[in-house]
Amino acid sequence: MSEENQVEEQPKPLVLEKLEANYADARLAQDASRGTVIIVIRKERAYAVLEYLKTDPELAYTFLVDVTAVDNSQMESELMQFDYARFMVVYQLYSYQGQCRLRVKVPVHENDLNIPSVTGLWKGANWLERETYDMFGINFEGHPDLRRILMPDDFEGHPLRKDYPLRGRGERERFNFDKQNA
Amino acid sequence: MGLDFVGRGTEETDGNIITTTIDKVVNWGRKNSLWPMPFGTACCAIEMMATLASKFDLSRFGSEAIRFSPRQSDLLIVSGRISIKMMPVLKRIYDQMPDPKWVISMGACASCGGVFDTYTLIQGVDQFIPVDVYIPGCPPRPEDLIDAVLQVQQKIASGASPKGVEVVYE
Repeated sequence: MSEENQVEEQPKPLVLEKLEANYADARLAQDASRGTVIIVIRKERAYAVLEYLKTDPELAYTFLVDVTAVDNSQMESELMQFDYARFMVVYQLYSYQGQCRLRVKVPVHENDLNIPSVTGLWKGANWLERETYDMFGINFEGHPDLRRILMPDDFEGHPLRKDYPLRGRGERERFNFDKQNA
Repeated sequence: MGLDFVGRGTEETDGNIITTTIDKVVNWGRKNSLWPMPFGTACCAIEMMATLASKFDLSRFGSEAIRFSPRQSDLLIVSGRISIKMMPVLKRIYDQMPDPKWVISMGACASCGGVFDTYTLIQGVDQFIPVDVYIPGCPPRPEDLIDAVLQVQQKIASGASPKGVEVVYE
């Protein structure tokens, strides 16, 4: 947060101005880190905001760099202030036109793990969302093929969740080769 | 590649006849023409490639005929970390190799999981396939791999059966 003051001295980023004008109801918080603007937005408006960020001719965040998630269940942070959401889905965007990056975070509650898929906006979101589903169990609604991508198909659980034991639940010792070869 | 298995010729034969046993001749042939099957999944595989290339030149020891088909190989070199998703593949490749076959577990990850003590990594391939020679290191130097191949050769020359063979061929 120490860079916050530094950011305020600079002119306000265009993306924040435009979002405040058009999507003031979607924004929950904002931050900046090493020159990257971070915005936290409401899940219900996430797809609309992301679509706007991509299609607006002045912003044109046409490159989806990454989709991932964070499990905050063991974190004590001021980010918890807007009613506790266990997961935070993170979209990293890049605008070739503005040559700037943007990080969009969307809180996802544990009791409702659904979030709209952005494969309709960026085709490259397909495998990224599959990985996020595999590792965290986030359910991307409207995804064309939401299967595990890294772990074996018959794997149970989502290993990057904080409550998943680091050394696993015995799956690395327990093996049924007959089933796998069938 | 010394002909150490050869019996001493007598004065009458003037050194033109040698005596030996069929096992020793067969093992002599096997040890000097190991055909490795590389199973490279990580940085150890880079060292394995260096071992095979001109600078370290594994062909000096008769093991340069790398086959990417397990059916043509008799030495499996597991070089790299093996995940729980990869283990069935490795097991299947091992099963496809014809007997007699030997296995080198190259590097810390293949031998014991290395630093990756996590849910997804096999903590030593010897839990599932028999390993003849282990190489420590992260990754091992090419000289270490050459040493391991020489140890396999010694094992073959001594007449010992591979770890994976339960019936001893005598």
